Amino acid sequence: MIRYILRRLVLMIPVALLVTVGVFILVRLSPGDPALVFAGEERDPNALAAIREQMGLDQPIPVQYVVWLGHLAQGDLGRSFQTHQRVLEAVTERLPATLELGLAALLFSTSVALIVGILSAVKRNSIVDLLSTSITLAGVSFPSFFLGIVLILLFAYIIPGRIFPPGGYVPLTQDAGDNLRRLVLPAVTLATASLAVNLRQVRSSLLDVFGHDYMRTARAKGLRERTVIARHALKNALIPVVTLIGIQIGAIIEGAFITEQIFFWPGIGRLAVQAIPSSDYPVVQGVVLISAFSYMFSTLIVDIVYAWLDPRISYEAATA
Amino acid sequence: MRSARFALVFVSAFAILLAACAGGQQPSGGGSAAPSGAKAAYGGTLTFALENDVSNLDPMLSGLFVDRNIHYAMYDSLVRVDPQGNILPWLAEKWETSTDGKTVTFHLRQGVKYHDGTAFDGDSVKWNIDRYIQTKGSLRTADLGSVDNVQVVDASTVKFNLKSAFAPLLGALVDRAGMMVSKKVVDAMGADFTVKPFKAGTGPFILTEAVKNDHYTLEKNPDWWGKDAAGNKLPFLDKITVKPILDADVALTNLRTGQAQVINRINGKDVPVVKTDPTLTYQQVGSFSWNSMVPNEAPGFIFNEHRYVKAVAMAIDRDEILNKGPAQGIGLVGWGPISPAHFAYDPSFKPWPKADPDGAKKLVAEVGKGPLKFELLVPSGDPATLQTAQLIQAELAKADITMDLKTQLFNDIVTLQQQHKHPGMTFVGWSGRLDPDGNTYDFVVTGSPNNDSSYSNPKVDDLMKQQRAESDPAKRKTLLLQAQQIYAVDDPSRVWFGFGVSPLVTVKNLTGMESYPDRIPRFQTAQLQK
Repeated sequence: MIRYILRRLVLMIPVALLVTVGVFILVRLSPGDPALVFAGEERDPNALAAIREQMGLDQPIPVQYVVWLGHLAQGDLGRSFQTHQRVLEAVTERLPATLELGLAALLFSTSVALIVGILSAVKRNSIVDLLSTSITLAGVSFPSFFLGIVLILLFAYIIPGRIFPPGGYVPLTQDAGDNLRRLVLPAVTLATASLAVNLRQVRSSLLDVFGHDYMRTARAKGLRERTVIARHALKNALIPVVTLIGIQIGAIIEGAFITEQIFFWPGIGRLAVQAIPSSDYPVVQGVVLISAFSYMFSTLIVDIVYAWLDPRISYEAATA
Repeated sequence: MRSARFALVFVSAFAILLAACAGGQQPSGGGSAAPSGAKAAYGGTLTFALENDVSNLDPMLSGLFVDRNIHYAMYDSLVRVDPQGNILPWLAEKWETSTDGKTVTFHLRQGVKYHDGTAFDGDSVKWNIDRYIQTKGSLRTADLGSVDNVQVVDASTVKFNLKSAFAPLLGALVDRAGMMVSKKVVDAMGADFTVKPFKAGTGPFILTEAVKNDHYTLEKNPDWWGKDAAGNKLPFLDKITVKPILDADVALTNLRTGQAQVINRINGKDVPVVKTDPTLTYQQVGSFSWNSMVPNEAPGFIFNEHRYVKAVAMAIDRDEILNKGPAQGIGLVGWGPISPAHFAYDPSFKPWPKADPDGAKKLVAEVGKGPLKFELLVPSGDPATLQTAQLIQAELAKADITMDLKTQLFNDIVTLQQQHKHPGMTFVGWSGRLDPDGNTYDFVVTGSPNNDSSYSNPKVDDLMKQQRAESDPAKRKTLLLQAQQIYAVDDPSRVWFGFGVSPLVTVKNLTGMESYPDRIPRFQTAQLQK
């Protein structure tokens, strides 16, 4: 297993290099001039030339790439063109907010998907099943920017008492109660799409497992239905669900781009959304790179969890 | 009869003198000259919902309006303005300009200290101005382009030696080019000074916390030098929290729900409601900002034919744009860049008081190249901007002018415009400057940095250069208006169609704040009544 993990880690290097080339070229395809954005309404040509020089934009693109990669190798993601803040600092400042939102959404979507998915599979074609299918359809159909606004309208304006604020963020350490109140709407918005996908996966995986011989054997042994589902059905049905959740963990950083914008949640997504129209290359590159790494690591973790869930999966054999 | 008139004059003069004595002193810390009468309320914290996150807290590198909203609270400038646009003494208590206009001597306020404890003096002024002029990439080089050098006469006197007489200099020193920062903090913070210039100013509030995209904390400077009209020491508030909230509707909701106490932008549709809300106070004054359509008049482009620009300027219905557009009447119609808030404004300047589609048709026919058709690049992201463009599109259609709309990122439009590559016109305005020179010169003088329309008219160049060297405001006004007649009407450089207003909405128990034409809130006189 350790050999497998090491091999995967080594393989990440060429993938990461490809990502750096891709993101470096893509951000430069936009016609906007970062120096003009930085200067705002000030257009002194000498000042603009000096700004371009300071940003390194007077150099050919391959030279810019090598310089950036050199700094990256030393753990330096550079400084924002617009604010001069270190990109790593900008990202780490916002990481707690993004992680909190992402994990809350994941917890919500996973737990609801498991409970409703199991009920839906066990009581197939019942009211619960019908409801769960409707939730799935609605969740997949509603884009987060629409759902977010509907939730704000409902809970911050229409329903008396303004149960949840329309947006904003208070650190957990500052006021836990207020933090949680502000977390609910964005977390539900972010969770809805993945909830629908996970719910559908739990239901269909369980239905698939229910048809297997070992389920009949378990029941024939006289085990209680609850034990049959928990011990025999669920563990086997969870493997595809774990894949989905793993991908969703990897997607926490960029998954919240839109939701963070709607709810003024000061996370990494908002950082990137503001950096893109400003042609703030270092920030966009930094966020995309970190997002790519989080994907790569989450898929590795998913593969490791597979082996734990299903002892038949052996990476040593595959590598031999 | 004669003695009665004399008596009336005498009584009036006495009454004015009495009022002046009773009315207290001219406030040194800005704000209204009239004391409120109420007992000064010290303490309290307020939240200001800012329209976007600040980009750069270093006055040297700041290029955006939002930045100035925090700058004004934490930094002092050499001079400032009152709500009417008159220059006020600030860190410079008085100044003299030499008869040839090439030297300005500033006498500095004594005993002032930066928030980090270092002294503000003549050396500090010289260091700041040198930094603004000499640093590579400084965005203040254009503002201070006329300054040859700064000479320290003594600890409280500095002399600005100019390359040539430059009337708009004082106006430039009101803003970032005149803001003084502590050398010690700049040296200590290095590149991080742009993000966290803690204790760097001498202003009424001290920046103590800066969390990008979330909030900024400004705490009271107990040693600030300013006093209000009643002689009360300023500032009154203990703390200001600045929160960037991008959406105007959300910002207003925050105000209504008590999560914010001040906003300085509002959608036109909300103004009538806010005005009648008993819990809020609404104020507005005309601003320096203007709205325009920028043609590309470079050779090879449609608008190289200036009569087409004039046809567009004639055909649009400015009243309709203001009243039926998303502004909902909040703003002012205009035909040029000199706003009603400027000393050089001419209220009679209305070249086309009503839309003249027939006149526009005749002008296009006179060119003789068939119907006029062009593309307008509209910045994406703001529905109100697009709605205004659509309204103009419908108005131009009445003059048989076809204007196609294309939305694009603002940054991309400005880049194209700067490179003189936009095919037709762009929909880009200007936030405005205190001195009318800042609203005009760079946009119309041949080869100037903001002359994105590639406009060139030798007569305009000559008039604009003359006004810069003219120290008499009345003569300057004449020169500015002569130039405006040419570049806005006779041989138009772009299409101006209106001016903005500066709104200020506060909660009712917040007093002492006034709306300024530059839209920047001044917090040093703000009081939260219990």
